Amino acid sequence: MAMAALRREGRRFATPLLSSPIRSSLISHSQEQAPNGVRSISTQVVRNRMKSVKNIQKITKAMKMVAASKLRAIQTRAENSRGLWQPFTALLGDSPSVNVKKSVIVTVSSDKGLCGGINSTSVKISRILHKLSSGPEKETKYVILGEKAKAQLIRDSKDDISLSITELQKNPLNYSQVSVLADDILKNVEFDALRIVFNKFHSVVQFMPTVSTVLSPEIVEREAEAGGKLGELDSYEIEGAETKGEVLQNLAEFQFSCILFNGVLENACSEQGARMSAMDSSSRNAGDMLDRLTLTYNRTRQASITTELIEIISGASALEG
Amino acid sequence: MTLNLCVLTPNRIVWDSEVKEIILSTNSGQIGVLPNHAPIATAVDIGILRIRLNDQWVTMALMGGFARIGNNKITILVNDAEKSSDIDPEEAKQTLEIAEANLS
Repeated sequence: MAMAALRREGRRFATPLLSSPIRSSLISHSQEQAPNGVRSISTQVVRNRMKSVKNIQKITKAMKMVAASKLRAIQTRAENSRGLWQPFTALLGDSPSVNVKKSVIVTVSSDKGLCGGINSTSVKISRILHKLSSGPEKETKYVILGEKAKAQLIRDSKDDISLSITELQKNPLNYSQVSVLADDILKNVEFDALRIVFNKFHSVVQFMPTVSTVLSPEIVEREAEAGGKLGELDSYEIEGAETKGEVLQNLAEFQFSCILFNGVLENACSEQGARMSAMDSSSRNAGDMLDRLTLTYNRTRQASITTELIEIISGASALEG
Repeated sequence: MTLNLCVLTPNRIVWDSEVKEIILSTNSGQIGVLPNHAPIATAVDIGILRIRLNDQWVTMALMGGFARIGNNKITILVNDAEKSSDIDPEEAKQTLEIAEANLS
């Protein structure tokens, strides 16, 4: 009974395929039309895919390790620089919702990609700020640090960009470089309030977009007269031969360069952390893909073996029968 | 009543402890600060900061910045600071000669 059934099956399979078993085995190694009308992928193609996915997994794993080591190096520096802007806030207060005519938004972003969504969030926040601080008499300009934000903002706000700086991290970040940068920005851009947008590094998985505000000396004076935290500034006697205006100017410049330095360091930390988690999820995804491809490969291999066996058996039974 | 002194640079915290007295170099000369000093905010020139802890003076070189003194709490923010114990005189002399040669 079994032999009769096999014979019937063999006749069904034997007729569309070629009779010689050698040629059919050659053909099974390339794409072929299986008898049931289902296209089956050959093992060679699946093997190639598996090789490339495995390579990608290795690369993303390596990138994750590199990002982890870079993060460790830069994290201590970022934490040390955090103490720097606190005295300024203690002295001058923090007034993010101040009403000014000319505001400049400094967006800090990374140069390289593959770092998750941090650059998109920075750009989103910058655009929101731009909308909030634009109005009938007010104007807002962008200063962009980093290639990624430049690529995104140049598309729709090209006229509002006054300055863009890239390749910040070519040399290791240090304060003198950032202070020269701050000097440059202060010279070329007129502002009443500077808002620096960056991603603050809370932990390896958490990066909060943050806005730091630096006010120009005239606005500080105006707010000091209005009272509030800045009113306490007057309780400090100004030592030295300078007038209050000059001291405030120096203070504002120093404050800007300190805050910019801290912002750039924190953003670099966030970039490495985001890249770590992005590469980690990518490696995991590649592993899943590899598992699925292995199953497909085994199925294809078994299907081709079964087909060969059936041909042989049907050929043999045709000879006998 | 002791003063609390905090010297910060962008890269690290150089000093954070209680002191008896400091002598600070501002753009209008040197000022001495004792406990219960009036609150002042001043710019700091490139110069030497002297710190007294219990009759012992410690010196530090500061590269300019700001100082805020109030409520027995002194906060000095400078671009860079080096303790005198960390400075090697031979190396410093050589760097000075190189700098002077570059100037002239």
